[in-house]
Amino acid sequence: MNFTLSTLIQQIINGLSLGSVYALIAVGYSLVYSILLFSNFAHGGFLVVGGYACYFLLTQWGFNTAVSMAGALAASGLTAVLTERLAYKPIRERTSITLYLLIASMGVNIVIENLFVITVGGRIRALPQSTFPTGVFELGGGVTVSASDILSLVVAAIFLVLLQLFLTRTRWGLAIRAAACDLRTAGLMGVNVTFLIGLVFFVAGLLAAVGGIFLSVRYSLYPQLGSITTKAFIAAVIGGLGSLPGAVLGSLILGLAEMLTAGFVSSQMRDLVVYSLLVLILLVRPAGFFGRTASEKI
Amino acid sequence: MRKFVLCIACIALLAVPALAADTIKVGQLAAVTGDFAAYGTAEWEAVKIAVEEINKAGGVLGKQLELIMYDCRTRQEDTVNAARRLVEQDRVTAVIGPNGSGLCIAAAPIFNRGRVPNIGTLPTNPQVTVDESGRVRPYNFRICFLDPYQGAIMAQFSAQDLKAKKAALLYDVSSDYSQGQREFFIRNFERFGGKIVADEGFRGEDVDFRSQLTNMKNSGADVFIYPFMGKSLPLAVKQARELGIATPIVGGDGYGDFMWEIAGDALGDTYWVSHVDRYDPTLAGFFESYQAHTGTECKEFLNGVLAYDCVYWLKDAIERAGSDDPEKVRDALEKTSGLKLMHCVLTMDENHDPKDKDGVILRCDPKQQKALFLTKLRPE
Repeated sequence: MNFTLSTLIQQIINGLSLGSVYALIAVGYSLVYSILLFSNFAHGGFLVVGGYACYFLLTQWGFNTAVSMAGALAASGLTAVLTERLAYKPIRERTSITLYLLIASMGVNIVIENLFVITVGGRIRALPQSTFPTGVFELGGGVTVSASDILSLVVAAIFLVLLQLFLTRTRWGLAIRAAACDLRTAGLMGVNVTFLIGLVFFVAGLLAAVGGIFLSVRYSLYPQLGSITTKAFIAAVIGGLGSLPGAVLGSLILGLAEMLTAGFVSSQMRDLVVYSLLVLILLVRPAGFFGRTASEKI
Repeated sequence: MRKFVLCIACIALLAVPALAADTIKVGQLAAVTGDFAAYGTAEWEAVKIAVEEINKAGGVLGKQLELIMYDCRTRQEDTVNAARRLVEQDRVTAVIGPNGSGLCIAAAPIFNRGRVPNIGTLPTNPQVTVDESGRVRPYNFRICFLDPYQGAIMAQFSAQDLKAKKAALLYDVSSDYSQGQREFFIRNFERFGGKIVADEGFRGEDVDFRSQLTNMKNSGADVFIYPFMGKSLPLAVKQARELGIATPIVGGDGYGDFMWEIAGDALGDTYWVSHVDRYDPTLAGFFESYQAHTGTECKEFLNGVLAYDCVYWLKDAIERAGSDDPEKVRDALEKTSGLKLMHCVLTMDENHDPKDKDGVILRCDPKQQKALFLTKLRPE
């Protein structure tokens, strides 16, 4: 393998690995958007809940990795459902303007972040090194891939496939797809819309927790961890908000674009180059790659 | 009823200044949340300990110190707002902190306009005490050494002790602290005959540095230079080792023991410029009282030690000024000479910076999970 080729491969691996984390988060965004047509910025908060739940289950209560992860998933899922019930449902019932939901979600995100700042403090934590594999594999030619990369890619893939199966093979999945087409009509056809929305938030919360755990393992855990969801949100928009395959594609594109620009153009100019490119993409395709309509986007 | 409440409120308002006259108000700005939360929390605890000690021993000029701390959230806009409150509403005698250069520089105009002295704990950028046109900011002081000094120490250590010829830099493009150290490292490393073979940037909130690190790896450098701080440091160390990079890493004074939790054994063969040696016996007493007060170890020891010494420096200045008037305290701070503090003997130079402080190099030891004293340096 020659020198530049191995560098290119390494940068592509770096990009895919970053993109897979974006994807887990972006899918959660898109799922909620597809039903309620608003961008749930509290998603970053759910992610932080998942990260901290896993951390405390592991370190304070001494549970094993699997139990801690399951607990974290449940905690995030319930937080998401609770958020929907307490913050979004009252608004939904009073107005059909989704802008209010969007603003409420920003508020919820700030509330969750600050709850953690006050209760557990702002210091940076890391999940114990021994709980997740930390090895590094040499692929030859100096190209390396870390165990946590492979693990996060695999887990992201598993969860995305499970989600796809749930949506296409189950009755509730069918109901969710129907609601994504038209929430009101789905309600008229006998779907329990309140339960359905709760379910969607629960699933989005689960995905956020998986993202939160992987971000904590690979990077670190702190109350502002949720801010990385801005990138995932952008990825979801590029892919076409409301489309799950779009969210995955958008995330991989964003991850690759960031890494390749930093690697081969300029790391100082990375964000400038990458985000100008994204603006261009949206100029050409306003609804993203798989978006339905441009008019309803916020 | 309303009148009654109003009356009470008026009495309360009148009573506040009367009470306040019996204490000397000391302000503190610490980043208790945000990226510098670990550093800021240590500073807050350390200042509380020093204030308590001084008050127990009878206070300053017969008055008790009253600490007013605001969280500056590692953000410039919050720092400016908090500084304004300390100066305009609380009318403090002086303000200790924050630790970051960018934060200090942002708040400097407030202190100079309000004529309240500010002592930076760890802001190492030259512009903290000297403005862009080269004039000394009259109300800004600091207890730490500067980035040119740090950059020079990093360069000298890399070139002479590590015998490095080619250096690869990774720096935070959004930070004054990082930019300053990078610039002075390059200048000095080239003076020692070294060459910069890679110069990569990232933005403060980034968590993934692998694409930059891949380029640095390919540059064939024999030392990596990390002039930045916060959670980026352990992440960039960990990711470098994950990419199979065994090159020694030299960084500035951003080292904190919290890094072990994130990077673990990856910290082997990393070297950090510091202002103090954590295991210096003269500091042991402070670390014990920190442990007793907070129930936790002072992991961000540098911030703890320097913030603690800031309070004693201020105490000395107020005593020499014979008053808690901010102007007189400012004059006394400026004339500080040969003051024995816990971690150093402090003398102010004409730029309000400490004169002739030693730089310490710490070496991370994965066996003990500690940064141990390696050598003391003063730039040539």
